[in-house]
Order: sequence, then C-alpha cells, then structure tokens
Amino acid sequence: MDISVYGEDRSALVRFDPRTKFVIFISSLAVSSNSFNATAHEIYCVVLCVMLFLCGKKWNAVKMSLLLGTAVYVRTCMEMQATGSTVVVTIISFILTIFLYCFPILMSLLIITQTTRINQFLSAFQAMHIPTRIVIPIAVMFRFIPTVGEEWTGVRKAMAFRGMSLEPSAIIRHPVKTVEYILIPLLFSCISIMEELAAAALARGMDSDNARTSYETVHLRAYDYITMILFIAAGIWFFATGMVTGGAA
Amino acid sequence: MAKKEIAASANNNKKLRTKELIYAGAFGALYIVLMLVIVLGTSMIPILYLLAPITVGLVCGTVYMLCVLKVRKFGAALILGVLFAICACSNAWFSFVGALAAALLAELVIKFGKYRSKKMYLLSFVVFNLNMACPYMMLSFARDSFLKRSVEYYGQEYADGIEKIAPTWIFFPILGFALIGGILGALLANTLIKKHFKKAGVV
Repeated sequence: MDISVYGEDRSALVRFDPRTKFVIFISSLAVSSNSFNATAHEIYCVVLCVMLFLCGKKWNAVKMSLLLGTAVYVRTCMEMQATGSTVVVTIISFILTIFLYCFPILMSLLIITQTTRINQFLSAFQAMHIPTRIVIPIAVMFRFIPTVGEEWTGVRKAMAFRGMSLEPSAIIRHPVKTVEYILIPLLFSCISIMEELAAAALARGMDSDNARTSYETVHLRAYDYITMILFIAAGIWFFATGMVTGGAA
Repeated sequence: MAKKEIAASANNNKKLRTKELIYAGAFGALYIVLMLVIVLGTSMIPILYLLAPITVGLVCGTVYMLCVLKVRKFGAALILGVLFAICACSNAWFSFVGALAAALLAELVIKFGKYRSKKMYLLSFVVFNLNMACPYMMLSFARDSFLKRSVEYYGQEYADGIEKIAPTWIFFPILGFALIGGILGALLANTLIKKHFKKAGVV
C-alpha cells in the first residue's frame, strides 16, 4: 500500500466534501463494533471500496477489494470444509476476524487521508464552527502520518548504508539498541519537520483569532447529502440489529 | 527569536498555542504509526500480541516524553490520549472512556509536579501507558456479546478457540503488562533523552 502520498483528489470522479468522509468514518465505527450479520458486513465493505474508487484512488480501491475477496473466500472455504488441525484453523480465523473487523475503519481512514487535502480539511471544519484547538491536532495528525512513513524509509536506507540491518535476529539479540538506532534519527528528523510546519503555519496566520479565509471553498452538494443519509442509515441499522442480537445474549 | 517567543508564551500564557497544538498532533501521528507497526508486526505470534503493552510502552515512551517535555502545559498528554483513543479503541465505548481516563490521570500527575518535576513526567508515562490495556477490555467486559458474535459470525469452533486462548481474567495480566511497559518505557526514555536530546538542545 502506498502511504507516501499526501491526500489529493485530482483524479476523483466525484468530489465528496470532507464532512461526508467524516460521516462515513463514524458510520464505519458503528458498523465495525456492531456487525453480527456477515453478508451485510461484506456488502458494507464493498460499498466502501466503491467509495474509495469514486474518490480517485482507483488502484488502491482495486487492491483493497481483492484483499477483501481473498479473506472472505478463505473463510468460506474453511467453514465449508471444517477439517484440518484445530490450532491452525483457530490462528488463521483469528487473523481473518481481525482483518475483517478492522476493514471498515481502515477503509474509511484511507478515504479520509488519501483523498483530502489539508486545506479542505481546515475549511470544512471551520464551516462546522469547531474551535481551532480541536481541529489543528487532528488535521496535523492526518498530515503527518505519511511524513512519518517517508522518514521511516529514509532511516532504513541510512541504516543499510552503514551496514546495520533490521533483521528479526538483530531485533531479538539487541532489542533496546535497535529501538535506539531507529527511534532517535526518526524523532530528530520528525522534530525538525514539526518546527518547519509550525513556522509555516504561523507565517500563514494560523495563530490569529480572526476567521480564516481560504482558497478552498467547500460546499455540501446533493450527492453529499445522499451519501451521508445512506451511511447514517446503514450505521443506525447495524447499531440497532447489533443491539438486538447482542443484547439478547 | 523563536526561543524568546517560546519563553514568553510559557510565562504569560497557560493555554496551548498553535505551535504546541501542531507539536501535539505530530507527535500523536508518530505515536500511532509506531504503535501500529509494532502491534501489526508482532501480532503474527499470539503471545507477542498479548504482550503488546510492554513492547509498545518500551518504544513509544520516548515519543510521549518528548511531546510532553516540549509542550510543558496542560493538554499535551490529553491530546495524545484522545488521538490514541480515536485510532485504537473506538470500537467499544468503555475502552474509549478507559483510554481517556488514563490520559487525564497522566495529565493530573504532570500537574502535580507543576510541569517542572522530572520524576512526575516519568511517572505520568506509567499511568499513560495503561491505555494500551484498554483495547483488550472487550475480551473481559463485553465477553458475552463478543463470543456470541464469534459464534454467529465464525462458528462455534472459533469461539471455543478464543475462550481457550484468552480466559476471563486475561485483562488483569494485561493491565500488569501495561504497567511494566510503562516503567520500562519511562526508564528508556529517560536514558535516551539524557543521552541525545538534552545535548542537542531539543528539550
């Protein structure tokens, strides 16, 4: 999965509002923790793949749906066969459960981080009248996750250059040393990026109390409302059925 | 110039400013990426998956410590805790509340040291790391609905497997692991910060 790309929506088929993407995220949380119906859960996952496709990350959407298909296929096969050693079956189905369980959350996070630019974020939040105190950490976090990935590859390259490897045996023999070798350069480079980011933000007047203006205009259009209603309805439906099945236990 | 500004803001402004909010958000991203890398990397082996509070605490302690030492105001640990809760324990409300409570407690411990005491900063990470136990709460407190779902979703065999691997009292050892991880992480952070970051003048 390519995480070193900052959010962009140039190739988007439909430009959804960041707020819509947040509704999808919240709905996915409700679905993940309350889905008792395997078929409905799979349909929801497929819909999320379609959403990622529409938002412009077509290749990622295809990859994720292939991954989903494989997981569901393996699980169905194991259910139908019902043979094999118990330990192996338990471990594999444990991994599959966690994967399927996390899938909606993972997908909605991908939709948010990979297809939203940070200024869209900020202006959408500002339109919702959320105080900057809450907006800035969240927006910076989403902006920073790809950066950490980039710095990580940089540190790995630098270590390889000096003949230090990241093999499991090295980690097991010198855990603390390995942690130090990776963590310290990573932290140093991230801290300098943070300082630059803070300076850039201050230079753009993030610190002032006046309302900000933006090049980016965010509007909720008809398709935004339709998507939101659909996802809210799905979330409520899953929540309600989850309560009924789970509560009766 | 920048140093002067920081000093001035620390003196006359107790609230977080934009710069510090950016630090908190960025350290939050670092914390979460490292946590996910460790948890996903080790979850192949079930025992290591249950030991994740120790491994994550060991690695992420330094990140947490740098974050709170760089900001030195009310809110840094809390923001980190909220970001952690959003990403790691949003699947059950009691895990979410538990993670938030751990962050708030850590914040109070720092406050108790008046944002200056080093020992209190180190102690606060031990409290903060309790949030690593929160995602596992489901195995103990929502066990019935969790097992019921497993039966319905994956069959009786799988549910039996879970029941065997993780008995009801599994939450308490995990809480202990989180404490151990917090202590080890705080000690390591102390050494590393003394060795590297103090010299470079970062904190």
